[in-house]
Amino acid sequence: MESRFHQELEKLKMTILRMAAMTEEALERALESFFARDTELATRVIKQDQEINLLEVEIDKYCLRLLALDQPLARDLRFIVGSKRIAVDLERVADQAVNIAERTVFLSSRPPLPPNPQMEQLAETATDMLKTVISAFVNGNTDQAYDVCQMDDTADELNAAILKNQINYILTEVPAVERSVQTIIAARCIERVADQATNIAESVIFIVKGVNIKHHCEN
Amino acid sequence: MDKTVKMAAANLNFYYGDFHALQDISLLFYDRMVTALIGPSGCGKSTFLRCLNRMNDLIAISRVEGNIWLDGQNIYDPKVDVVSIRRRIGMVFQKPNPFPKTIFENVAYGLRVNGVKDKTFMAERVEQSLRQAALWDEVKERLHNSALGLSGGQQQRLCIARALAVEPEVLLMDEPASALDPIATQKIEELIHQLKTKYTIVIVTHNMQQAARVSDYTAFFYMGRLIEVNATETLFTRPQHRQTEDYITGRFG
Repeated sequence: MESRFHQELEKLKMTILRMAAMTEEALERALESFFARDTELATRVIKQDQEINLLEVEIDKYCLRLLALDQPLARDLRFIVGSKRIAVDLERVADQAVNIAERTVFLSSRPPLPPNPQMEQLAETATDMLKTVISAFVNGNTDQAYDVCQMDDTADELNAAILKNQINYILTEVPAVERSVQTIIAARCIERVADQATNIAESVIFIVKGVNIKHHCEN
Repeated sequence: MDKTVKMAAANLNFYYGDFHALQDISLLFYDRMVTALIGPSGCGKSTFLRCLNRMNDLIAISRVEGNIWLDGQNIYDPKVDVVSIRRRIGMVFQKPNPFPKTIFENVAYGLRVNGVKDKTFMAERVEQSLRQAALWDEVKERLHNSALGLSGGQQQRLCIARALAVEPEVLLMDEPASALDPIATQKIEELIHQLKTKYTIVIVTHNMQQAARVSDYTAFFYMGRLIEVNATETLFTRPQHRQTEDYITGRFG
């Protein structure tokens, strides 16, 4: 029979997964609204962010209570500390989704810029990283977590390429400055999602293996 | 930090009659560091602790194989004087056990047994020992009152002072705070931190948080075997053996 404490840990895991699912949905909707210029969907993403914020607070309180009352050790301790970090990163991903949705609201009210396949690639990369790292957390799979760390380079490169393209575009199309800047900000937000997915990957590796690979992410 | 080995158990086996209570234990104790022994009841940790100063010699049906070294001397060498070994390796027990004498006489007892007669020297050593045991300020006005009038926590610190009075090199503690309230426990734990600047300490405890708080190294025993010994921080955050992990996370059995 599982002890009360281990049932509590399972409950914590389920709460993180609920937050992860909501965050993943927020990001996907924000990106969908961005590419489809769908203001209504973007507005919904912005409104629903508060639910994710509240879940982060709930997880924070829950972790603190488990640490204080059960004084966990070894993998249980790592799981709680790691979960606390993951909740913070998920909440930041959700904030980026809101930022992207806000760019949608602005850009949708102006004439569209030329199609930008690199933006779509970046969005796909960041979404894939988030999905993969959530799966790594669920299954305690460090191979998937290391894969996510590697994918971050692609996101960085795409973001740099988008920045360069948009600057070139501004130089030729002065009236598009404001829209290009908003696009650059949106790209930066997506790239930050990739960074946060990488942070979550580092937390998964910490939980499973007990090693801290922050700031030197190699397998 | 430089580490010097103060004591070492090498392939130690211990038997109670036919029962093989300790199986091939090899373990190092570093000078002026605290080593905690943890494990479930009956795992052999207290038996092992008692082997470290030959307390088990008092059990008729017991038998020891293997060696325990103290500064390069095998304490189980037949030529060794057991009394001198127990002077060098002091012990504090689970339940405070002061003698039904005055506070002063409790601390002076070991000195008298060792032939000390100089009263000035004795008074100085009693004060020094009580200070080291963080008890002096609480008892200096009533040194000649009965030790039995002290609280449980004070009695345990008195027993520590009594052990320190004969200037041991190693201090063995068998669940020294298990009978004490949280405040008295905290005082004993603070004391252990101070004492390790002078003494090598080995502590048996059932309280894993206590082991985590006070020790530099922790050894996990299970069914008479040493499963894992590691730096305390490592053992409690990322133990190397599944059995250790299961025990400290309460998934045992």
